[in-house]
Amino acid sequence: MIKLEKLTKVYRTDEIESTALNQVSFEIREGEFVSVMGPSGCGKSTLLNVLGLLDRPESGSYLFQGVEVAKFNEKERASLRKQNIGFVFQNFNLIDELTVFENIELPLIYNKIAPGERKKRVSELIEKIGITSRASHYPQQLSGGQQQRVAVARALITRPPLILADEPTGNLDSKNGNEVMELLVELNKDGTTIVMVTHSAHDASYSSRTINLMDGHIVSGKRNEKPELQV
Amino acid sequence: MFKNYLKVAFRSLIKNRVYALINILGLALGLAVTMLVFLFVKDETSYDKHWNGYERVYRTGLKADMMGQKMDAPISPNPMANALRTEFTDVEAATRMQAGRQEILMRHEETKVYIPKMARVDSSFFQVFDYEFVHGDPNTALKEDNAIVLTEETARKLFGDKNAMDGIVNYDNRRDLIVRGIVKQPKGHSHFEFDMFLAQNGVQNIWISNNFYTYFRLKEGVELADFEEKMKDNFMKKIEPDVERFLKITVEEFFAQDNSFEYQLQPLTDIHLHSHKDWEIQQNGNIIYVYVFIGIALLVILIAGINFMNLSTARSGKRAKEVGVRKVVGASRPMLVTQFLTESVIQAFLALIVAYGLVYLFLPGFNKVMDTNLEFVNGHIGQTIGFSLLVTLFYGLFSGSYPALFLSGFRPVSVLKGDYTKTKSGASFRKGLVVIQFIASTILIIGVIIIYMQISFLQSKDVGFKGENVIIVPLQTDQMTQNFRNYNDIFLNNSKVLNVSRASYFPGDTPNQNMYVLEGSEEQLPLWNLEVDYEFFKTVGVELVEGRLFDREMEADSVPYFILNQTAIENLNIENPIGRRLGTYINQDGDLAFGNIIGIVKDFHIEGFNQNVRPMVLSVSNNVWFAAFRIADHDKNATIEFIEKEWNKLEPSHPFRYQFLDEKFGALLKQQENFGRMFLFLTILAIIISSMGLYGLASYTAEQRTKEIGIRKVLGASVGQIMNMLTKDFVKLVLIANVFAWPISFLIAKDWLTNFSYQIDVPILPFILATIASVVIAVVTVSSQAYQAANSDPVDALKYE
Repeated sequence: MIKLEKLTKVYRTDEIESTALNQVSFEIREGEFVSVMGPSGCGKSTLLNVLGLLDRPESGSYLFQGVEVAKFNEKERASLRKQNIGFVFQNFNLIDELTVFENIELPLIYNKIAPGERKKRVSELIEKIGITSRASHYPQQLSGGQQQRVAVARALITRPPLILADEPTGNLDSKNGNEVMELLVELNKDGTTIVMVTHSAHDASYSSRTINLMDGHIVSGKRNEKPELQV
Repeated sequence: MFKNYLKVAFRSLIKNRVYALINILGLALGLAVTMLVFLFVKDETSYDKHWNGYERVYRTGLKADMMGQKMDAPISPNPMANALRTEFTDVEAATRMQAGRQEILMRHEETKVYIPKMARVDSSFFQVFDYEFVHGDPNTALKEDNAIVLTEETARKLFGDKNAMDGIVNYDNRRDLIVRGIVKQPKGHSHFEFDMFLAQNGVQNIWISNNFYTYFRLKEGVELADFEEKMKDNFMKKIEPDVERFLKITVEEFFAQDNSFEYQLQPLTDIHLHSHKDWEIQQNGNIIYVYVFIGIALLVILIAGINFMNLSTARSGKRAKEVGVRKVVGASRPMLVTQFLTESVIQAFLALIVAYGLVYLFLPGFNKVMDTNLEFVNGHIGQTIGFSLLVTLFYGLFSGSYPALFLSGFRPVSVLKGDYTKTKSGASFRKGLVVIQFIASTILIIGVIIIYMQISFLQSKDVGFKGENVIIVPLQTDQMTQNFRNYNDIFLNNSKVLNVSRASYFPGDTPNQNMYVLEGSEEQLPLWNLEVDYEFFKTVGVELVEGRLFDREMEADSVPYFILNQTAIENLNIENPIGRRLGTYINQDGDLAFGNIIGIVKDFHIEGFNQNVRPMVLSVSNNVWFAAFRIADHDKNATIEFIEKEWNKLEPSHPFRYQFLDEKFGALLKQQENFGRMFLFLTILAIIISSMGLYGLASYTAEQRTKEIGIRKVLGASVGQIMNMLTKDFVKLVLIANVFAWPISFLIAKDWLTNFSYQIDVPILPFILATIASVVIAVVTVSSQAYQAANSDPVDALKYE
């Protein structure tokens, strides 16, 4: 599904130039659940941003479902993004002025899905993640775990083949964190490809493969044991 | 998608109530001012547009320069309308009119009423000005010499509920007239306003004397320029015999002596706003006020729009996350721009609703101050609403454009990381906008102070006479005019009546002009003549400069004596004037009667201050229409009652009326005073809107710097130091704005002052005051926010991050 070849991303400020990704190459197949680990500043988030087409690489090749997207312009990237990629963030990033239902519905609106269809899909998904009673609440009225489940639901609603998660449990306690991880595993079972950046080896153990990043390089990639489910 | 925009817009309004209130109220004030100005401008530009074929109607006028005396007046000779009607095939209709300067006592049976505005017109008047006739026939109503046409209101005053048509009314105790028409008050404004129309059809073939207003309507398709040329040729030939008869020179000689004399045409619809000549029918409006108010409306819109932009971008930090999320889940930039524009347009329309309320609230005050009669719901309600909707839409789009483009440009990667508070880009733009806002406010503050200084300069200017405690009473009848000089003692018996006098007019009235000839010279001198009695100078307080005043003991009744004012002496360049002889025409054959110039008096004003003092000649005459009484400063009411009682014994037919001379003259300044008050009101509004914006921005800044303030306090900064830090930046912006505002205001003020014949030099004081005022306003506005921020607990501030 994803193939990176010698991908480089450089950040420039007024005086300093720092290489966040240095000639990174790897491949992610459809249906994989990949964790990206590494110390702070190693380029994990940059990698995720580039994968999510939120950021453009300086050089190298990025094939998404066999299409070269590294040189896509803003419009092409936005269009590819909204149809194929769902995002989950550490700090949830729900819109405070919208209810749970409306937050989840938002990507469907931008994808120009008809209102009836939107309502049906959102209701189904809300039921699935078990927050039906909270559908008309605002994000501030939910616990962190509930907020993140809503965020995952929002990422899922357009049924994207790829979900990118940036430390999805980072702001959650372990109980809530585990719930979110189980949700992701379940998704993965249904066939969604997931790339997750994490600090936590525990979280990484849920995934099928872990990529270790250090100073913009991949230092190792290992296949994980089957995750042990802990409740 | 639109529904979603609306939803978010309303929720974000409710969530950010204070900002929303500032935005909406600011916009509402701006819109209210814009609508008021629209109503005012619409009203001012609507004059005379309700007459049939108004685009083809012209008024003739006269522009002349004779012996150095310039004349520019909308008047024309007696036979001109007749000539236009009979000798020009291009003319569809022509009429002439004389406007009464005084109230007239009208009587029907036992009902006696003073009717304010009378016109003498010829029978074709209603062919040019198509008043709607309730009774009577516009074409024939004024054919008879004793015919009169009344407005409905006048008819009601005189006849009550009875039908006035063909009824008899008595005119000023002089003669009976028959009502041959009743007309409705016209639907629109006109540069004249009359309550009754007297027939005056006789034509005297004198072309050199100009006592009429002449109007005519061209046929459709006639080229004005061609017609004007034909007309001038024709009329110049007509005037030739009169010039030769009166001036005793040929027309060629007349023009060879550097004289000019020209008939001019004025489009009817230009009169109200553009015509400020001698002898206008009534005081016209002024296009300058129209421009000034449009300018103010634009400034106020700018100020309110800037508020909106500033507050929206300042709050962008709060919206940044939303922008990021929306982009990540698939919003394109145009979608976000649309969303934010929708929000600002919604706010603008909420503001419009408030603005309608404000207009409703302000309109009575506006009308009172500006002496207008504006209504929100009038014939142009559709236009007004349409205009307000358009302006609101524009407002919403204009003020939302920058925030929309700014916010939608956020990069999701950085805003979602939480970097947005560090984005500096908006800050300098906001500062620039604050500077522009304060330039606008400061210009208005300087403007208002200069306007008030100019008005108070005019109010305190030496008018050359002493109008306090002098009452003016019109002499209504020939009997009173002829005999009043014998009645002085009746009034002077009361010790509180200090002087009694008479004159052909007094300050505040419209003066007359006549031709004079200095003995030994051929020159025609057009001087403004005032006929007075022997007591005039004492009563009105006009001072002698040279020679002597009129003296009953020293003067023969059969010979005229003349006193000139200083301007006459200067303008005419008469050397050793005392003792020289001046001639005045005594008949239509050009015969002159000569008399001695016996004195020179200090200049005194008859007209308002946008008119220089005219060269005047005063003479004693019995042909006067006003009496004046100087009364003691105490017990004025009792004294006036005494005068009234005695007056009514002498002249029972006309109810007694009087006016204080200073008030009568002061009324000439009314238009300027109204303008000043309105300007003040709008300036205060503009300052309020500016302050609201500044308040919002300051509260935002304080909020944004909470952490910095906390750290500074932990490190030992005092409340004063923190406040100083927060206030300093804004004061700096205000000072920069002043640097720009000064030269701009100076140029505008200088230009405005040229409208007055008597003007102040642009003083430095308003500039200094405006700077102080703007700094004080800024400090007061900002410091409340700064004080709160500076007093907050640093622990809270640091926990906040």
